[in-house]
Amino acid sequence: MTFTKKRNLFAQKICRFCAEKIDHIDFFDVKTMKPLISERGKIVPSRISGNCAKHQRQLTVAIKRARNIALLPFTVER
Amino acid sequence: MRSYQSVLILKPDLDETQVDEAVQKIEGFFKKFGGSSHRIERWGKKRLAYRVKKNRFGYYLNIYHTCENDKLSQLEKEYSLYETILKHMVIRLEERDLERALTRAAQAEAGEEAKEGTGKAVEGTDNEDAEEVVGVAE
Repeated sequence: MTFTKKRNLFAQKICRFCAEKIDHIDFFDVKTMKPLISERGKIVPSRISGNCAKHQRQLTVAIKRARNIALLPFTVER
Repeated sequence: MRSYQSVLILKPDLDETQVDEAVQKIEGFFKKFGGSSHRIERWGKKRLAYRVKKNRFGYYLNIYHTCENDKLSQLEKEYSLYETILKHMVIRLEERDLERALTRAAQAEAGEEAKEGTGKAVEGTDNEDAEEVVGVAE
């Protein structure tokens, strides 16, 4: 089944920020945000990344700020 | 008086003395608008994720500072009129945000100093950082 395959690809169900007890995501911390944006530069939805709602909200703000100041791309042209 | 964080992208082709000049001028802006700088970080030359005014690279400055609340728009105008600055972003910081940012920065500095003793470890991490940024840009 395709569903199980998908589940296996992103097997991590626990919020990675809760696991590391990070209480604030900085927008200049590109290293932590990089795995949470897609190849196209989109924000990965929490249903796939497994982040909790609180951290997903912080993450979107951080990514949008990073885009504003050219640390992350808005889009990646192929 | 509120605290703010300003991230500025300067032109990539500046040498250290020119950056010093720019920093002094920017500190002049804060004084003019009744503020002062808490901390100035130089992130150095980085690859930009997209072109800004036809530049692929930029010299990043990160400044924690205070400013009179109603003069912030004037400060931003000064930023945009100053030709050395390619792009700027100003973020309002609450008290706890500022404290967290400053303690974090101080900790990072202490960590770097500890690493400098070991030598090569620092270089390794630096290179990794550079690669990461390049990867994002592509």
